[in-house]
Amino acid sequence: MTEHRDGVDAAAADPGSGPRHWSAARLPRGLHPGAWWLWALGLATAASHTTNPLLLALLVAVAALTVLRRRTDAPWALAFRMYLVLGAVIITMRVVFRIVFGGGQGEHLLVSLPEIPLPEWAAGIRLFGPVALEQVLGGFYDGLRLATMLVCLGAANALANPKRLLKAVPGALYAVGTAVVVALSVAPQLVESVLRVRRARRLRGATGRGMRALRGIALPVLADALDRSLALAAAMDSRGYGRTAAVPAGQRAATGALVLGGLVGVCAGTYGLLDSTGSGYLGLPMLLAGLAVAVTGMLLAGRRVHRSRYRPDRWHPAELLVAGCGIAAAAVTLLAGSVAPELLYPPVSPLTWPEVTPLMLLAVAAAAGPAWLAPPPPGSPSTRPPTVGTSGSTVAAPTRTGDPATSVPGGHP
Amino acid sequence: MSVLRVAPRTAVVLALASAAALATFTWPFFIPAHPESTARTGEAPLVFLVMLPVLVALVLAELSSGGIDSKALAMLGVLAAVNAALRPLGAGTAGIETVFFLLVLAGRVFGPGFGFLLGSTSLFASALLTAGVGPWLPFQMLCASWVGLGAGLLPTRLRGRAEVAVLAGYGAFAAYGYGLLMNLWFWPFSLGADTQLSYVAGAPVLDNLHRFAVFTAVTSTFGWDTGRAITTAVAVVLAGPAVLAALRRAARRAAFDAPVTFAAPAPQPAPSAATPVPGAPVAASGDVTGPAVGVAPPARRWLDEQSATAEEGGQGGGSHQAPQRPAD
Repeated sequence: MTEHRDGVDAAAADPGSGPRHWSAARLPRGLHPGAWWLWALGLATAASHTTNPLLLALLVAVAALTVLRRRTDAPWALAFRMYLVLGAVIITMRVVFRIVFGGGQGEHLLVSLPEIPLPEWAAGIRLFGPVALEQVLGGFYDGLRLATMLVCLGAANALANPKRLLKAVPGALYAVGTAVVVALSVAPQLVESVLRVRRARRLRGATGRGMRALRGIALPVLADALDRSLALAAAMDSRGYGRTAAVPAGQRAATGALVLGGLVGVCAGTYGLLDSTGSGYLGLPMLLAGLAVAVTGMLLAGRRVHRSRYRPDRWHPAELLVAGCGIAAAAVTLLAGSVAPELLYPPVSPLTWPEVTPLMLLAVAAAAGPAWLAPPPPGSPSTRPPTVGTSGSTVAAPTRTGDPATSVPGGHP
Repeated sequence: MSVLRVAPRTAVVLALASAAALATFTWPFFIPAHPESTARTGEAPLVFLVMLPVLVALVLAELSSGGIDSKALAMLGVLAAVNAALRPLGAGTAGIETVFFLLVLAGRVFGPGFGFLLGSTSLFASALLTAGVGPWLPFQMLCASWVGLGAGLLPTRLRGRAEVAVLAGYGAFAAYGYGLLMNLWFWPFSLGADTQLSYVAGAPVLDNLHRFAVFTAVTSTFGWDTGRAITTAVAVVLAGPAVLAALRRAARRAAFDAPVTFAAPAPQPAPSAATPVPGAPVAASGDVTGPAVGVAPPARRWLDEQSATAEEGGQGGGSHQAPQRPAD
């Protein structure tokens, strides 16, 4: 917000990089998706530590501004509106539930609705009754916090390219990630398949209506998709998919023991967390340690997968800057919470007007940084380099061609 | 048949992770009444929000640790794409839910491990396509995975009408169970702390259970969940036999359990097609089309072109006699 004055100028101040790199850094390109996710998670963390409606509204505004300035025209980028609607639904739900099911806490009565006592099986709950301002406001604050966190995640969805993110999954999840990439690439082809089957039906003089038409279209499309999967498997085999590195038996046993031991720790930690007899050492520390051990085992298991990378995604200064902005926003909000917690959680029961402190404004300013600091997104579809759209769809082939003998046939049909 | 072999170790990992994951749904029933955790929403939900994605990743990694056959992987991706394309058809219209139908049928045909993976990948791909990624996604993935796993664990001997009836019943049951679990997950988040239907930390389990039952009955069980159950059951009954036949035909054509042997001696012993040696790429790819000779013209022709450009002629004859297919 505070940087509004120098916003339009692309060469705004950036102390981090020298003038020589500046023009290269400002070239339109898609940022690493991990940077956007870190930024958004930082914003969500900041939002989760406050119920101050002014600060939350500013965070939503910042997320929306960044999305508007830096999103592409990819399909996932157009769904940001859906997250805004979802946030509004959550707020409305909270407030409505408070009005319908909430008791009449609070002094400032807004309206007194007639009470409807429910029968005995419903635990003696009564509907409606007096509606107090404090009760509605409490629901609104809580809902707004949840909605803000959601909108922040929605911003990451709109800005980060999921196909590029899938390229960065750890080795142990490589197979599942490949399956998802296959799914994402095949889904648009299904539309084409449907059109083809419908045209064939029309040529044979079949009517395009009713249950029979649905079966007549759906089943051939499914069969077509299944046939396509076999052809795809053949293509993957011919390009050397499934090559695994030899891992000694001892190491395999060790990774198995790590995963199993970690999971036992997670179960024990969860039990300790939910146990009322108060075995504190079993709780959160045990759970986190178990998770860490299990994840280590998983990462070690990933060493079995050998893959070469086609155009590895690197972190440039702009990525670090964007991620740093998110982390800074979270850190400053936490700092503001330790300085004046009552301002981050404005009480509703003596009604107080929420305030914004300079520290909160600093957090918002940090969060808004990427709207100008991130390089602009690749422009119109005609000028976009082809790798942005197709890098994911061909991941089954070129990322695995470590073997020279198998990489030759794929390239030149 | 089971496309993806679930080793004993994998089964143990799956059971442990499922037990821990169940706690991330049911914690409102058990959480003790710490004074500080009732003051705010508490740390427990946040811990579980972080924990569940890790658990899902662990299970997925463990299931695929034996190496997924390329045919199974392509099948997984294509079926997930179909599921992801089916999902927006019903979403938002009076509880009509179209995801479970194919998930149940595919889990039935391809086995529990494949069903589990298909549940996760379907919802993940669908979330990416329609940009529905959020904190709820790992929970949805896990629930759908359980649905696919359960479909694979149904008794295998059933065929014909009995099979369709059992699958329809299971589909309806799974639809209700999925709705109940997702409601349970959303319960603390949708209500906040202090309405009459919110969970009470430290209260007896039955008391909280009662509150949840009222909440889920009021919000969704009679509307959305019933719609979902009816859609799934009706779809299984109407289209089930044809889809099952299509899936079984694809499974037979892919010949997932055909052992691969190499006719020509290779420089190094190659135990399976998963490790092609530089000298024998044609033999490795022949394994794909070999069982499908005469049945799969497009794939055959395509592959023949590929191998023709890849190899000087003369080795082509050896490719088709390489794999031995068991008589089934």
